[in-house]
Amino acid sequence: MTADARPPSAAQTVGLGAVGLALFVGIWLALTLSGIVPRQFLPTPIDVLTRTFELLAHPFAGATLPVHVLSSFERYAYGFLLAAAIGVPLGLLMGRFSWLNDIVTPVFDGLRFIAPIAWVPFAALWFGTGIGGPIMIIFSGAFPPCLINAYRGARFVDRNYIEAAQMLGTRNMRTILEVLLPASFPSIIAGLRVGAGIGWQSLVGAELIVASAGVGYMMVQGQSNISTPTVVAGMIAIGIVGLLIDVLLRRLETHVRRRRGLA
Amino acid sequence: MRPSRRFFVGITTIAALFAVWAVLTMVTGTVSTGRFPSPLQFWESARQVLTVGYADATLFAHALHSLKLVVMGFLVAIAAGIPLGLLMGWSRRAEAFVNPVFLLIRPIPPLAWIPLAILWLGLGDAAKIMVIFFAAFVPSVINTFTGVRMIEPHIIEAARMLGTGRRRMVREVLVPAASPMIFTGLRLSLQASWTTLVAAELVGALAGLGRVLNVAQQDIYPAMVMVGMAAVGVLGWATTRLLAMIEARAMPWLPARA
Amino acid sequence: MSAIVFESVHRQFERDGKSFPALDNVTLTVADKEFVALVGPSGCGKTTCLRMAAGFEAPSSGRVLVGGVPVTGPGPDRAVVFQQFALFPWKSVEDNIAFGLRNRKVPADERRERIAGAIRLMGLEGYETAFPHQLSGGMQQRVAIARAYVLDPQALLMDEPFGALDAQTRVVMQEELVRLARVNPRTVLFITHAVEEAVYLADRVAIMTRRPGRIKEVIDVRSIRAAEAWDRHERVEDVMDLESFVHLRTHIWRSLREEKVGGER
Ligand SMILES: Nc1ncnc2c1ncn2[C@@H]1O[C@H](COP(=O)(O)OP(=O)(O)OP(=O)(O)O)[C@@H](O)[C@H]1O
Ligand SMILES: [Mg+2]
Repeated sequence: MTADARPPSAAQTVGLGAVGLALFVGIWLALTLSGIVPRQFLPTPIDVLTRTFELLAHPFAGATLPVHVLSSFERYAYGFLLAAAIGVPLGLLMGRFSWLNDIVTPVFDGLRFIAPIAWVPFAALWFGTGIGGPIMIIFSGAFPPCLINAYRGARFVDRNYIEAAQMLGTRNMRTILEVLLPASFPSIIAGLRVGAGIGWQSLVGAELIVASAGVGYMMVQGQSNISTPTVVAGMIAIGIVGLLIDVLLRRLETHVRRRRGLA
Repeated sequence: MRPSRRFFVGITTIAALFAVWAVLTMVTGTVSTGRFPSPLQFWESARQVLTVGYADATLFAHALHSLKLVVMGFLVAIAAGIPLGLLMGWSRRAEAFVNPVFLLIRPIPPLAWIPLAILWLGLGDAAKIMVIFFAAFVPSVINTFTGVRMIEPHIIEAARMLGTGRRRMVREVLVPAASPMIFTGLRLSLQASWTTLVAAELVGALAGLGRVLNVAQQDIYPAMVMVGMAAVGVLGWATTRLLAMIEARAMPWLPARA
Repeated sequence: MSAIVFESVHRQFERDGKSFPALDNVTLTVADKEFVALVGPSGCGKTTCLRMAAGFEAPSSGRVLVGGVPVTGPGPDRAVVFQQFALFPWKSVEDNIAFGLRNRKVPADERRERIAGAIRLMGLEGYETAFPHQLSGGMQQRVAIARAYVLDPQALLMDEPFGALDAQTRVVMQEELVRLARVNPRTVLFITHAVEEAVYLADRVAIMTRRPGRIKEVIDVRSIRAAEAWDRHERVEDVMDLESFVHLRTHIWRSLREEKVGGER
């Protein structure tokens, strides 16, 4: 419910948005160009764009921006897939067999309040700072939503389906694969999407703390060289990749929901 | 009888894990205590940090420092986020005005602000509060916004026909009607605040639980890492419980959940 | 004076980019302290009429006046009882009823008195501090009516207020409304699908055509009620048994059925 007697027209919406955006960029420019804030600390939008294009071709902190992004993404993909590969089946099994749920839940609840990023020291200790450590961090961020949503999906599947399957003499494994998995698919996809977002965040955090490559590492190097444009360029790159991941999974989610008639 | 079985299984699981942990680290030595501390080492480290202190302060002082920053950043963020969410929810024009800037900033994960915060504000408290602000701000805006948009139109019309002025409309209708969603936002904001603070302190800090973790990592002192993590978990749990209690107090009118 | 007047009211709505008429030249007057029931086929525009009188919507052309003044927006001089109750879930029964009075800055003493009066009238004693979700549907409806009545509004606008109630509660509420109308007569516009309810409660019944809605016929119940002395009977069912009642009801039924079956104009 809104207060507007009638919604603004499309032109008004665009116009207001443009004014808002112009104000934002205007204040930014005014602060930097007037010298109130030293340019070293707050670069102009143009500085940032120039730096971003520069980084596309010229390496900084050992690689160009695209190479940093790729190396981040590679670790991200491994960690996320691992979280999904363990979280989803475990969640489904927990939804199907309550004894397993009774065993896993207390452990899970005990660990739930530890921020994923707090695993960084152990991750570094156990798996090093190359690829293993960051993967563990992404895993610890992405795992809980994967597990919880698969569990909820399976737990709240209409009992009738399962009973129908059992009545037809379906064995447990097939009940899970052919009834539980498809029926909880929308919930699983939603969990994957949330997990993907948290995982990407966690990766960035991990790279800021312990890493020798990746966008986060590039940003830390930029920070210690007091190259603010590099830092902001890194933020932009991270934002864009995160957005792409989200858009992609959102697409998948609506697609799945629509096919289920849930849209 | 299911809850009691669940309780029994839960206790047994925890006890079994503890036993396995103790046996593997202390009896058989299968797991090297250089990488994974034994329960005894954990206990010793906890005692050390509680009494003598570690990384320049006792656990209590570190925890209090972290807690203070989380609370401050969280409060500043929601003090800005809830009103903005109300405004954007209530007026489509305000939404149209703010949305492009919001969409521009939103995809940047809060943790990615850490280097910039350090550049601007150094390793002290101000930088931490800034990143916590960015982390906690977005969920509180989005959920408040959604909460307002989800208000049943009839409720607003009822308030209008009763002659409700602008101020009372916000205070007595919009805020309470949106409060279930607002609290959802607060829970997410609080969670994000802890994650961000720990990350920011791990990147660099003069005190706090993240610093305990950081120094312990550099000292290759796994037992202390574990103590630090446990402290993070306990504080996260305690603040979440506190928020849940406030939530229950604030909305006695909600039908009890089954 | 608080008569509600619809003067050649038209209303267009947009759907899928196309504009279609919902109301076509509605002219109707609800006189001061008169109870008019509005009946008509579903989708004919009854709610739209009521929302215009309430000030939630404006006519595309024509005028809606209350007390001789064109309606520009909602206000506490016209209290609305919504079909969906629209109580504030976060306020107790008492606070729901008090809300409009507080908006008007009625002093605390007077407020307390009026609230107590409204609670008594609606038989809600003992539930003052209950929240809406703790009440039955019928009780919630009574709170909604109390919330409107306590303002002592010039006009009451009620949109199928008993639509969601079970048969027994409905009868009780109807009797209560008749009793209230005697104690404290108000200008009332009352929408209903139940023809018996309309005849039982109203001074006049206005029948609308199917969409686009127009006033097809207005039936004077008051003179027959007085002539046949319906008010001697306390109970709804006794009144509904009277030959004069059955006659009116059947007449309205026929008129409505024409609309549903062959009424396309
Ligand atoms: N806001 C709106 N936008 C578009 N069309 C509308 C709107 N409000 C009402 N209509 C249309 O106007 C017509 C009349 O609606 P209205 O709600 O007044 O009918 P009604 O007589 O109250 O029906 P019912 O008895 O089913 O409640 C309907 O065809 C409806 O679809
Ligand atoms: Mg209607």
